[in-house]
Amino acid sequence: MPEPRRPAARRGPDGSGPDGPPQWAIRLAGWRLPEEVADAVVGDLEEEYRSRVRPEQGRSRADLWFWWRAVTVRRGALRRAAARLRATRPTWERNRPHRAALDPDPWSRIVPLRDVSYALRRLSRSPGFTAVAILSLALGIGANTAMFSVVNAVLLRGTPAAEPHRMVEVYTSEADGFAYSTTSYPDYVDLRGGTEVFESVVATRSAIARVERDGRAEVAMGELVSWDYFQTLGLDMALGRPFLEEEDRTPGTHPVVVLGHRFWTEQYGADPGVLGRTLHLNGRPFTVVGVAPETYRSSFSVLVSSFFAPHMMANEIMAGSDLDQLGRRGSRSLFVKARLRPGVAVAQADAAVEALSRGLAEEYPDTNTERIMSVLPSSDVAVHPLVDRALVPVAGLLLGVVGLVLLIACANLASFLLARAEDRRKEIAVRLALGAGRTALMRQLLVETVLLASLGGAVGVVVAGWTLDLVMAFQPPIPVPLALDIGLDGTVLAFTAGVSLLAGLAFGLVPALQATDPDVAPTLKNEGIGAGRSGRPRLRNALVVSQVAFSFVLLIGAGLFVRSLQKAQAIDPGFYTGPAALVWPMPELSGYETREEQGQLMRLLEEGFREHPLIDQVARTDRVPLGAAIQTERFLLPGVPSTKPDGDHDIDNAVVAPGYFETMEVDIVRGRAFADTDRLGDPVAIVSEAFVQRYYPGRDVLGMTLGRPGRDGGHRIVGVARDTKVRTLGEEPRPYVYVASREGFVVDMQFVVRGRASAPELLAAAREVLDSVDPDLVLLEAKTMNEHLAIMLFPPRMAALLLSVFGGLALALSAIGIYGVVSYAVSRRTRELGIRMSLGATARDVVVMAVGGGMRLVAVGGAIGVVLAGGVTWALARFLYGISSTDVLTFVAIPVLLTGVALLAAFVPARRASAVDPVRALRSE
Amino acid sequence: MARSTHLGDLEELTLLAALRLGPDAHGGAVRDELKREAGRSVSVSTVYVTLMRLEEKGYVRSELGRPEAVRGGKARRLFAVSPEGVAALEAQRDVRAHLWEGVDLEGDARA
Repeated sequence: MPEPRRPAARRGPDGSGPDGPPQWAIRLAGWRLPEEVADAVVGDLEEEYRSRVRPEQGRSRADLWFWWRAVTVRRGALRRAAARLRATRPTWERNRPHRAALDPDPWSRIVPLRDVSYALRRLSRSPGFTAVAILSLALGIGANTAMFSVVNAVLLRGTPAAEPHRMVEVYTSEADGFAYSTTSYPDYVDLRGGTEVFESVVATRSAIARVERDGRAEVAMGELVSWDYFQTLGLDMALGRPFLEEEDRTPGTHPVVVLGHRFWTEQYGADPGVLGRTLHLNGRPFTVVGVAPETYRSSFSVLVSSFFAPHMMANEIMAGSDLDQLGRRGSRSLFVKARLRPGVAVAQADAAVEALSRGLAEEYPDTNTERIMSVLPSSDVAVHPLVDRALVPVAGLLLGVVGLVLLIACANLASFLLARAEDRRKEIAVRLALGAGRTALMRQLLVETVLLASLGGAVGVVVAGWTLDLVMAFQPPIPVPLALDIGLDGTVLAFTAGVSLLAGLAFGLVPALQATDPDVAPTLKNEGIGAGRSGRPRLRNALVVSQVAFSFVLLIGAGLFVRSLQKAQAIDPGFYTGPAALVWPMPELSGYETREEQGQLMRLLEEGFREHPLIDQVARTDRVPLGAAIQTERFLLPGVPSTKPDGDHDIDNAVVAPGYFETMEVDIVRGRAFADTDRLGDPVAIVSEAFVQRYYPGRDVLGMTLGRPGRDGGHRIVGVARDTKVRTLGEEPRPYVYVASREGFVVDMQFVVRGRASAPELLAAAREVLDSVDPDLVLLEAKTMNEHLAIMLFPPRMAALLLSVFGGLALALSAIGIYGVVSYAVSRRTRELGIRMSLGATARDVVVMAVGGGMRLVAVGGAIGVVLAGGVTWALARFLYGISSTDVLTFVAIPVLLTGVALLAAFVPARRASAVDPVRALRSE
Repeated sequence: MARSTHLGDLEELTLLAALRLGPDAHGGAVRDELKREAGRSVSVSTVYVTLMRLEEKGYVRSELGRPEAVRGGKARRLFAVSPEGVAALEAQRDVRAHLWEGVDLEGDARA
């Protein structure tokens, strides 16, 4: 007999077996049957098929028979019977094939795939709705995820540690009362051996060093730590070992280094062979002994340390900038962490360190008077108590803003789903009437909304990535090479998932509950169409009103910050802000060890700048005002009493070289500017007008001498300069002391160069000079004057940008909401509009009526928004420059903007109303 | 509206076949039984429509069996006659018996 004509491969990949009937016939039959009995019927047919296959005949006859059965199966009768059974025997429906027994996928039992695929089909059938819904949610969720990532990185993450409840931070107070300042190395050593409350006490300070690898040098941030730093935190090294006790006992004897995990991954490709290799820090060889734990980034949550070295190597790594910090009790730069002994309370430890520090104050009155130590639990400190105080409100503001955006997005979705549920009422009523279970319908609607929310969440994560890139592009312009570590980590993903799920359930539940209202008769009879039940439109209207109100608040906030930025940019800082370049070389990091060498280099550079054809003027100073750092010096003012024990005053100051006042265009109002001769003669100083106002009003200060505590002599005042802004743009004039730079006292100095060229050209010219003098010179900074000024404008600019973006987003989402409501109202009132038009209403009347309906909601929302904004903006006052939180222009401009956008959003769908053909409208329904 | 408790001809035969088959009563077996013992040739679909109608009336209950390879991994739907089903069959039989009582086939034929 002939071979079977059908190749075996045509069938049987999924369980029908090589001797089963034709696969497509099985599918056909299964597809045509109600699912409750499909398996039973098709299975019976398959059994019979097998009994019909005769080995001597091949299977073609049986195949033909099976096809015939598949086509002639009594589809209609079976479906009707199944539908009746569903209606009369509710338990029967549960009696469907146990797919789970065949399919190991447990999901299908919880969320039947049928529901998911049904939801997918429904969503893809209205792509416009789906796209808007997903986009709305994605923008809301994305904004939230991005901002949460930032807050998480800065405030929530903290330093990892085993048994974190036993970790505490120890601070030393400033003499003027600020309680949470840094500690000196000698004090730290005394603390380490001086109490019984701690299991161990460790210290860390950040350090900047030039790191050389493969002939390239770059400035990297690291930490100097106690030998048992990682052990105390209870963290295991990623590779190698932590430091040994003897490596942190004697100064300068053990050049060993532990690499930061990220540095190791990025620079060494996570090579385990790195142990024992040499890393050059500031030109000195250090042996790599280990790699820090991956979870440990740095002692500050936003920074990432590249290397760690023992404190005893401080003088080698810190180079000339802070000589012998290990020995000086007055040099305080350590952050101290300690692990409490089990059972010791924080209050106990606090009392113990206070007693200890009072003892130190008695023993070392010169340096330690009024320096009191205190203890805070590590879990209470995010970055630093001082920084936290400023950051927490900012973080709160940001999260509040994006929270509002998410609320608006969710309101949009709720509104859309309500409208959809309305449209589906009839379909759902029919299904209910045919005996569909209410729970099954609810589940299906919920699956659809949760699916929307998940898609929105997934796209939102992408949006968040972009937003984060945008935020990261706005790194604060400060001179330290920051390795900010803000990523979408697990916590953030969990947060997003939570938000999107909550959103899905929140806006899925209400429509689902309403849609499955078992009172199906009126819907089936077409009642409720046209007139509508008043409850649902009211809910949608309420959603639009709240959207408008929230957008209003956000836009007012954005408007205030934009105005504030304008004000800040318009402030005259009192010094030259035109085209200029600022360069900041670091001789001590570049191999210039002695003061003579460093002074020689600075002279060479200054001459080089002056000789460059593009450069006309050069200023040299250790501080350009309005930078990130605050710099003060202690001065004794003759005849002016002080509350401080030494009788001194902390006054903002700068060390400047001759030519500074001309280059920076700071006028000398009395006396003279610094001259070249001041480099060598007695120390001289110039004070600001505000200095005179504050300390010597109405008196002549020329010739007066400013003393320095603990030193002989002082600075003779030779001139008075006009005030400039010093720390912030918004400040009142601040006392300022310029000290003339002198031969032999080299400090970190930067250059400001001006000329007949644009700032970028000047910057290039300055780099040329630097390269010609020493191509290996390490620069801490090289930037234009505008980039420098951006430091102070950074917070208002950031605030204005973020709030404008989020305010705009809110406005767009609300516009979509208004559009949706008006468009829906128009489509539902087609019949009514038709009647009106046939009775003589013009197209214009109809449009005005439709727009008016939408604008009523906007008016109500706007009114609520004004009240809310009035209540909220007072909280913004502390972030604003130069304007009040009830700025009139903002409170006029924003309603105008909002009204304009709302009108447009309402007008577009309303125009459709005018196109209604009365005859057709009356015939419909 | 109360549903009819009347048993149609095919329904009666199907119920009897299911009773005869006992725990093995599924669509295919019922169909074979009907063909073999009653000489009635019906399609699988018809058997199921009938069984479902009987289930709607409460005369049978169905549950799913184990998936079987010979059926392409599909489960059988097993039908069991309920006490109501048995009662309905008995009532039907009693009606017929009652009617038969007054019938004399030979006498009538001759008359």
